Amino acid sequence: MADEKRTLSPMDRVWNFFISVKLAIATLIVLAVTSILGTLIEQNQPPEKYHQIYEDWAFTLMDSINLFDMYHSKWFLFILVLFTVNLSCCTLDRFPKMLRVVRNPRTKLDGSLEKTLSLSDRWKRKGHLSEWTGKYSEALSASFAKPKVTEDGGEVHLYAETGVASRFGVYVTHLSIIFIFLGAIVGNVAGFKGYVNIPEGESVTQVPVRGGIAMQDLGFTVRCNSFRLETYPTGQPKAFMSDLSVIEGGRETLRKTIVVNDPLQYNGIWFYQSSYGQAGGATAQVAVSRRDGTPMGALALTANEPVPIEGYGVVRGVDYVENFQGMGPALRVAVEKPGQPAASFWLVQGRPDLDRQRADSLVFSFGGLSSKMFTGLQVAKDPGVNIVWLGCALMVIGLIMAFFLSHQRVWVRLAQGTDGRVEVVLAGSASRNRLAFEKRFEKLQSGVKAAGQ
Amino acid sequence: MSNVILFNLTTVLFGAASALYLGALYAKNENLAGAGTWVCILAAVVSTAAIGVRWYESYQMGIGRIPVTNLYESLVFFAWSVNLFYLIVERKYRNRTFGAFVMPIAFITMVFAVYNDSSIQPLVPALQSYWLHAHVITCFIGYAAFAVSAGVALMYLLKARQEAAKISEGVVGLLPSCKMLDDLVYRAIIWGFPFLTVGIITGAAWANYAWGTYWSWDPKETWSLIVWLVYALFLHARITRGWHGRRAAIISIVGFLATVMCYLGVNLLLSGLHSYGGG
Repeated sequence: MADEKRTLSPMDRVWNFFISVKLAIATLIVLAVTSILGTLIEQNQPPEKYHQIYEDWAFTLMDSINLFDMYHSKWFLFILVLFTVNLSCCTLDRFPKMLRVVRNPRTKLDGSLEKTLSLSDRWKRKGHLSEWTGKYSEALSASFAKPKVTEDGGEVHLYAETGVASRFGVYVTHLSIIFIFLGAIVGNVAGFKGYVNIPEGESVTQVPVRGGIAMQDLGFTVRCNSFRLETYPTGQPKAFMSDLSVIEGGRETLRKTIVVNDPLQYNGIWFYQSSYGQAGGATAQVAVSRRDGTPMGALALTANEPVPIEGYGVVRGVDYVENFQGMGPALRVAVEKPGQPAASFWLVQGRPDLDRQRADSLVFSFGGLSSKMFTGLQVAKDPGVNIVWLGCALMVIGLIMAFFLSHQRVWVRLAQGTDGRVEVVLAGSASRNRLAFEKRFEKLQSGVKAAGQ
Repeated sequence: MSNVILFNLTTVLFGAASALYLGALYAKNENLAGAGTWVCILAAVVSTAAIGVRWYESYQMGIGRIPVTNLYESLVFFAWSVNLFYLIVERKYRNRTFGAFVMPIAFITMVFAVYNDSSIQPLVPALQSYWLHAHVITCFIGYAAFAVSAGVALMYLLKARQEAAKISEGVVGLLPSCKMLDDLVYRAIIWGFPFLTVGIITGAAWANYAWGTYWSWDPKETWSLIVWLVYALFLHARITRGWHGRRAAIISIVGFLATVMCYLGVNLLLSGLHSYGGG
């Protein structure tokens, strides 16, 4: 061993380092342990927050090794790369060997192989070699798998196998991890993630990305037609939804109402319902009519903003209460007429008859408060995501192949004995779940033995 | 609420089963263990009914959702899975001593659940998705398998110490052979690992559909990855480096501790996207 080590070239040593399972185990431990750090230290918080928790020297130290955004740090990336290189090298090293073994199975049950197999049986039958070869081939085909027949020096060997795929499970699983990383890289390079607030009735053509330091053109326009919030009786939000339109070339090309868990997709860009809020202050709707009932139009009053009415004066909304003297929501307006002292009075929602008693030239009817909402959308384009899903599918398939299939092999050797009878040896092995194979082998044993009797 | 009454009854049954299995070990009385099995089967029936009733009652309340969406519900679902997984193991391995090590896990979980808010709350919009079903169910079957593995690993450590000292009397003498325990530690993990994997994948798919990001290094996600890495380590160490027995048993227990941290610790100690799961 020592001599062998000395004669290894540096290249071989590097290669041996990267194909070792010890490295794999070490990387798994290092990944698991370092990952814990980022769950204990809240990630990507504003610096002020960290300053409140940590002393200055600790902050500086932790910041210098990127502990506040550790999963995107160079050193964490380095561990992931090491993990992937190790995985790839192991696969490159072992896969061809496995392929060779699978392509050229040991079809002959010679003495040395027989010694390594714990499950075996032998018996003798009267008759001719070719006759029993045919019978046992049939028996194996019927209850296990069609055997390959090899003749060698007066002996006949039957070899049958099932579940070869289980040998490849580990490679499929490893490959799947590479696919997932590849998908993540593609997504990072060719995709973007952003967030945008759109007030009702307004549109955007670009969204801020990378925490707002850059703008990304969408290539089309997205308009928020309206936003709606539904609540449970407790006041908790039950559902919130935005009616969105995609406008391209001056034409609406898609319209969809999105809710959480049901996004809109256009040209590979996804819009996810994420949050909502009030866009600006509330607006009070006030209808105006003459004393004789002739409508004069409607006012939209925002807080303390004067609105002139020609030939009358200036109207402002100055106060609002949810319940005015038990009559429900009410708005207090102030009216300034030229040459007269300013007056203010309450308008109860939906009660113009009360205002009529004021004996003025105009009658106001308060229709209620409405507030304009904005919808908060996550915007994402990730061309790598399907590669990630392919990787995930492969991983599940690989794990099932590796853990729930078993490569089972059965050999039968027939030889014409000196006493004129045919000597038969039956043996088998399984790559995993030997207990279950033992039972199967017992059944096979009695089935094969009984064949042709 | 009748579902809560049924869950309380389940708690009592799990406690009774644990007592019977432990009593069977101490008194070396196989009849007690046999009774334990029947109590477990009864508990399986009652807890399944309780989950069904709770599901039905949520519809009657006008909420209508699968009962796996808050801490109380996830705890009872975990206990339900552990009990079921245990019954399968008991039947397959024809040995009832496992019960003394596994059923207390189900019992303690239910006791913990009883101290949590058991009311049926409406779902926040983020949880209203069909992915919820696949995600939670696969994760919890994985967790249950890991719990069984860790319980058996503990049995292994006790048994191995006694075998080393060449004693065969006492309570530990009744435990199955080290070889069998070691095999079961591994076998439970190869069931749990694919389920955890599918649980993580369905979680990622759901996150991608809800937020446009399949992985955001949120503490829950990160801890699920840590759990996954620990069991990946177990499998590699065992299959390629031949780590059996004591070392394998210790990794199984460490893996289950990481699972508990992922499941409860993250909600109770850390903050993140799954905080609503904290009840």
